[in-house]
Amino acid sequence: MSELSSHTGNITVPYTPPPETPKLSPREWVKENLFSSPFNSALTVVTTIILLAVFRGFLSFIFNPVRQWDSTATNMQLFMTRAYPDEQYIRVWFCVAVLLTLTGVSMAVWQAGSTVPVAGLGRKLLATGALLALLALLAPFSASATVQWLAAALAVAAIGEAIRRFAGRGESERTVSSLTVLVVTLAGLVTSLWVVPYGHHSYIAKRVPRVLAEPGTVALTTKLPWTIMLLIVVAAYFAGRLMRNRLPTNPTRATLLMLWLLAPFFLTYLVLRDPDFDMGHVLSTDLPIFAAYAVGGAVLLSWLTRPSTGETGRVVAVLILVAGFCTFLTPMRQVVRLDMLLLATFALAAPTFAGGPRARRRYIFGWLGVLGVMSWLITSINTPSTVTVPGGFFIGGFSITLFIAFIALVISFPLGIALALARTSSMPIFRQLATGFIEVVRGIPLITVLIFFSIMVPLFLPRGMHLGEVAAVAIGYVLFSSAYLAENVRGGLQSITRGQHEAAEAVGMTTAQKTVFIVLPQALRVSIPPLVGHCIGVFKETSLLAIIGVFDILYIGRIVIPGQTEFMGSTRENVLFVSVIYWIFAYQMSKASQRLERRTGLGER
Amino acid sequence: MTDTTTQERVSQRVPLWRDVVVLKWVTQIVLLFVVLSVMWFLASQAGDNLRARNINTDFDFLERPVDIQISEGIDTHPDTGGRALWAAMVNTLRLSIAGIFFATVLGVIVGLARLSDNWLVRRIATSWVEVLRNVPLLVQMIFYYSAMTAAFPRLGLETGPINGWLHVSNKGISMPRVHIADGFYQWMVVVLVGVVAAYFVRRHRQRIQDVTGANTSPILWAVGTIGLFGLIGLFVHPVFSWLGSVFSAVADLLDSLPVAVPQLLFSAIAVGGATVWIRRFVSDHRSARGHLSLTDDDWFRIAFVAVASLVVVFLVVRWSGLSAWTLNSGRDLFEVLADKFNVDGAARPFDAMRPDIVQPGKFPNYGKNGLTMSVGFASVFFAVVFYTSAFIGENVRGGILAVPKGQTEAAKAVGLRRGQILRHVVLPQALRVILPPTGNQYLNLTKNTSLAVAVGMSDMVQVGTTVFNQTGRTLPVVAIWMLFYLSCSLTISVVVNWFNVRMRLVER
Repeated sequence: MSELSSHTGNITVPYTPPPETPKLSPREWVKENLFSSPFNSALTVVTTIILLAVFRGFLSFIFNPVRQWDSTATNMQLFMTRAYPDEQYIRVWFCVAVLLTLTGVSMAVWQAGSTVPVAGLGRKLLATGALLALLALLAPFSASATVQWLAAALAVAAIGEAIRRFAGRGESERTVSSLTVLVVTLAGLVTSLWVVPYGHHSYIAKRVPRVLAEPGTVALTTKLPWTIMLLIVVAAYFAGRLMRNRLPTNPTRATLLMLWLLAPFFLTYLVLRDPDFDMGHVLSTDLPIFAAYAVGGAVLLSWLTRPSTGETGRVVAVLILVAGFCTFLTPMRQVVRLDMLLLATFALAAPTFAGGPRARRRYIFGWLGVLGVMSWLITSINTPSTVTVPGGFFIGGFSITLFIAFIALVISFPLGIALALARTSSMPIFRQLATGFIEVVRGIPLITVLIFFSIMVPLFLPRGMHLGEVAAVAIGYVLFSSAYLAENVRGGLQSITRGQHEAAEAVGMTTAQKTVFIVLPQALRVSIPPLVGHCIGVFKETSLLAIIGVFDILYIGRIVIPGQTEFMGSTRENVLFVSVIYWIFAYQMSKASQRLERRTGLGER
Repeated sequence: MTDTTTQERVSQRVPLWRDVVVLKWVTQIVLLFVVLSVMWFLASQAGDNLRARNINTDFDFLERPVDIQISEGIDTHPDTGGRALWAAMVNTLRLSIAGIFFATVLGVIVGLARLSDNWLVRRIATSWVEVLRNVPLLVQMIFYYSAMTAAFPRLGLETGPINGWLHVSNKGISMPRVHIADGFYQWMVVVLVGVVAAYFVRRHRQRIQDVTGANTSPILWAVGTIGLFGLIGLFVHPVFSWLGSVFSAVADLLDSLPVAVPQLLFSAIAVGGATVWIRRFVSDHRSARGHLSLTDDDWFRIAFVAVASLVVVFLVVRWSGLSAWTLNSGRDLFEVLADKFNVDGAARPFDAMRPDIVQPGKFPNYGKNGLTMSVGFASVFFAVVFYTSAFIGENVRGGILAVPKGQTEAAKAVGLRRGQILRHVVLPQALRVILPPTGNQYLNLTKNTSLAVAVGMSDMVQVGTTVFNQTGRTLPVVAIWMLFYLSCSLTISVVVNWFNVRMRLVER
């Protein structure tokens, strides 16, 4: 205990990591950082021994000949998309291509990446080589394997040293863009697909792993697709650079954000699910309803947003809301009801956005856009799919993990903001309802919510209405996420000073205008760090899908693959792989949020 | 604008449909109506559907026999649904409390290691945090589970690193345990007397310190007093065995009381409490000159409290069963207490047991004596402890970094020693930052133990799922879950808040 407290005493002074000064010789550095005091020396020795033992244990786990790593390699397709039909697999690659294109363009438009010194890169490679050599010595290899690994480690270290020497020669420090480093690394990985025999990566129902080398369908090879994908990213990046130079910045960024938001819906419901549109029905029913709402709504909203429209407008908006509720009393198409409620929402919000012709035009275009997206989504979800897969949902594996996380976040975002506003509102009934909901949801574990929704939702629906299990579970995720999100946003709302409210009131804004234009933008900006943390949390929580039997990546890694006759009992390998996948994504997100915080200066007030 | 027109405008009443107060209330009531009607609609749908499928929603499964095997805990073959849920609840609580304790210890170590001077220690702590924080808890849990089941040997009569002391097998980990024995309750009374004595000792020492300025270490003296009483109590505790007859007398008294007594008592408490609260609230909102200014919100609160107290009175009067239940359980409680004191005078307060392996049939099993945790329990336990320790470590690090450097330097300048600086300067300030997020982590840990369902450890959710699969009572089981987890959350929040308030008092 005394050791512990003296140890604590050492570190009470805020610690700043030592700057990477090349002037400190290795000996001095070791002395300062590892052996500065007797206690520190003892600590170093003990931790080194423990660390080496842990490394050795881990390596002997990984490289044990009993391990069935080919179960992971062979089932890669299952991991990513579950039983998506082979002959339609080009659709999956199309989705990846769309997302990568967006990534490339966005990286160029937002000027991602930084410059890194070449010498630093060399030093990192050198350290990697040293670490590899150490691991090669620790691992339980045969002599020849050890020699091979050592040679590889030495090669890496030699390359690193060469780069370092080369960079250190000139007067000025040589730098390179981090994006270049990234592309070179990715290119190396893709090349390795062509060179290194990783094993089969397709597993088909006949239980005969197909040999990859044969030029089969796209589903059976990843070499060519990934090469094309890499080229697509690079091309998209250069296209994005052109766009950045030629086009105005803000509209481009807004368009890209909209595309990012729409892409998952578009890709999942139009590309992957491939709805079998009955064009006769679409033309005779869906389009007319859309057109009627579009035209009627546009006319109505253009009148409502006119500043001269007084209280009559509000009365009309309330009447539309009442009409929207009344549509539920008589049997009619679900689309009509939902569109009516959407129109009522827009009508009620109209006075807030009233103003000059430009503002009004923008509001009407907003209405048309939202209505269009909603109608299209409803139509495509209600249309039967041409993709036939066993089981309940047409995608699985990692795709459904990403899909559920995205849906939960996108839908819970407005819901969470509404809850946060209600909870901070001065109106008691709103506040009590919101507080009750938030506290109850935050008090119970997610798994009980999911079990409840997966079992009970069919009981709560009126007769004749059906909801798939995945949709029911998604509702559970949305409600759960919205309660937590509301608390994050509430923190932001409370950080807005009184002066902001008073100033907004002084220039004659209504409460709604004050909230939308003054309070929320600032509050959301402040709550970006906790919101990113929330995104990571939701992403990690999607693993709970496995418990209720949805075929997500964890379920496949834990139940499906170890159940295949060839790969009995390969649970540990596959769960380890799943955790690596989760870790890569979550870690990248947390790093990105730290970069964002540093760049915007958030969190240091 | 002249004075007269202003006067006129003020005197004109705002029309009803433009009055903000009216509009606000109308909106709220409409929303309340909508929410209630949606809930009513869903409930009626559920009722119809449940009736159509012949599913009951009553709680009588708590009394009915079920066929459940529970992995570990106070009862592995419970005979009723209620008993099964009770055993599961004990398992969840064990897991949560042990998890909170060990996660705190490990989290503090990780947080301090992240701030260490030693490069290697710092690096290890950072990777610990970054790896464990970014892998979902469920994935970790399943990995530990499959690793342990694969790595641990099968249980045999000679299994264990140290046979008779520590057994590790794929049926679980078993080790010696210290447990409370028959004399414990008498001993507790001695300790309670010690606590009272310690209070006075502490006050006395504190007074001397305040007067003379000498360091009299009052806390140390108080702790010492309790320890002394505990030690003496080990030998003299049978002197309190007469308390048993007192408790049985109270039980008899409660048994003979009519139901009306608790009914009256509860009603009086509800009405009296509401009256006192409203009077205090009103007098708080009265200005010095006696002018009363209440907002909508305040009126709402007053109305809410009044209505709530009336609802309580109505419920108490309408359901006399509630009061009867209170009386009965009070009687039962005192009977149990009387039982606890009705023991052999020489009974020891504590006892220890070594684990054993028994083989009545074909396969060996762990006996009853040891402290045994199944592999499922171990995997959940390690997963929640490691996962939460990463988060608590970050809280600790943030809290210590939040104490300005000047504080330590000033303390050094005054001449405090390192330990004193830590105890009197750094920790009180760091704890204020550390505690609230750490309390949240405790809540998360408690809720995260519900993932035990994935590795087949019998916690609340796993047993609840089995119970409703066997009896079809999904809604009641979900209600019990909600009640249980909400009360856990509430308890933890209350405790953490209490500490928070105490910490805040340190501030000026």
